[in-house]
Amino acid sequence: MSPGAGDDEGDLTRKQRREQARGERKALEQAEAARAKRRARLTQLGIVVAIVVVVIVGIAIASGGGGGKKTVSVGSHESNATVAEVKTLIDGIPQSGNTLGDPNAPVTLRYFGDLECPICKEFTLEVLPTLIPKYVRTGKLKIEYHSLETATREPEIFKTQQVAAYAAGKQNLGWYFIETFYHEQGEEDSGYVNEKYLQGIASQVPGLNLADWTDARSEPTYSNEVAADAQAANQAGFTGTPSFELGKTGGTLEKFEPGTFTEAGPYEAAIEKQLKS
Amino acid sequence: MSSSALRKTMIVLTAVGLCLAAYLTYVHYSGVTPPCSIKGNPCSEVQKSQYSLLIGIPVALIGLLGYIAILGSLLLAPDGERARLATMALILGGFGFSLYLTYRELFTLHKICEWCVSSAVIMTVLACLSVWRFLRGGDLLPVDAATGAATPGADEAPEPAAPLGAARS
Repeated sequence: MSPGAGDDEGDLTRKQRREQARGERKALEQAEAARAKRRARLTQLGIVVAIVVVVIVGIAIASGGGGGKKTVSVGSHESNATVAEVKTLIDGIPQSGNTLGDPNAPVTLRYFGDLECPICKEFTLEVLPTLIPKYVRTGKLKIEYHSLETATREPEIFKTQQVAAYAAGKQNLGWYFIETFYHEQGEEDSGYVNEKYLQGIASQVPGLNLADWTDARSEPTYSNEVAADAQAANQAGFTGTPSFELGKTGGTLEKFEPGTFTEAGPYEAAIEKQLKS
Repeated sequence: MSSSALRKTMIVLTAVGLCLAAYLTYVHYSGVTPPCSIKGNPCSEVQKSQYSLLIGIPVALIGLLGYIAILGSLLLAPDGERARLATMALILGGFGFSLYLTYRELFTLHKICEWCVSSAVIMTVLACLSVWRFLRGGDLLPVDAATGAATPGADEAPEPAAPLGAARS
């Protein structure tokens, strides 16, 4: 081995070492840069998550806990307005049990509802004020109210509230109770329906004898009626409220799906069709 | 999964979520009853509950706008750190909102809407994908034209682009 060759080998080794060291340094720098980038990303993720949590908690607090029991303050401005509105709508229209309208009206609309159902409230407050003066008051249509449990969580509470309405029907004031209940319906699932609430509704029904109403509530006739309604709804294939059947009085009523619970148009069209047939 | 495939998956999921939110917005404004396989049609009741509005704005509309923003960030912004951060922030916002709405359904209304759950599931998957996409980086520089593969580590320590012919010197 010549000394020159040994120098070359030594130079190469030094060069290789230098390159190796440079490579390692570069790798370390890259690894450090990658770690710094990961840290930065994690920090950004943490900031985003923190902002989202703060905003969502804010929304949850602002929108309330979902409680808020509602009780009727008889004699309050709200109560007086409801009584006046209901009276204007149905006063003077014949009532029998859970039926509103002339018993001999040519067309019957069967309305399956749950007194706690907010969509039933919409239908009652937005569609019925058109249908009742136009068809019920004029003797062309009668509306039967039937019970189907949907929005009410507790079956016992459902039975109690529906029976309370039917018991008012014993004095031919059931629709006053139903209308008043929907007008003053509380926040869904807040557990607002209790004895005080039902008494409050009943006390706003003009002319209702509260003692007779209380006695009637314990009659099995009405709880049986609620059970029969559930069976009828099941047979008709109804799963939601409000649900309807429509047809000629005394004939077979057909399932009626209006497609809307806020517009009276489809109801009017269907009733007109029945009246003309 | 390549970044491109991940982005495409997220676009498809966002498009599905957008359709759901659009339908629920239509349901809200038209008043029609949404089809629901659960007895008692809880979908309809959830849609009509007080929690279907936030400061007077339908939550379905908020969801629709959110999905449009997410889709915009995925389709319009060039793929980069900032775009991924923006997409992830939007999706995590939507995910948080979905969590809140699901909480309201389960613990306040005690009713479940299949349509809302579908959207929440999509938002959850999108949240996982967007966080993964943001944290892992990758494929931020152009894909190698010859091999079709992404430059390894390109996202970790991106080098300035070498001038043409530099590789031969």
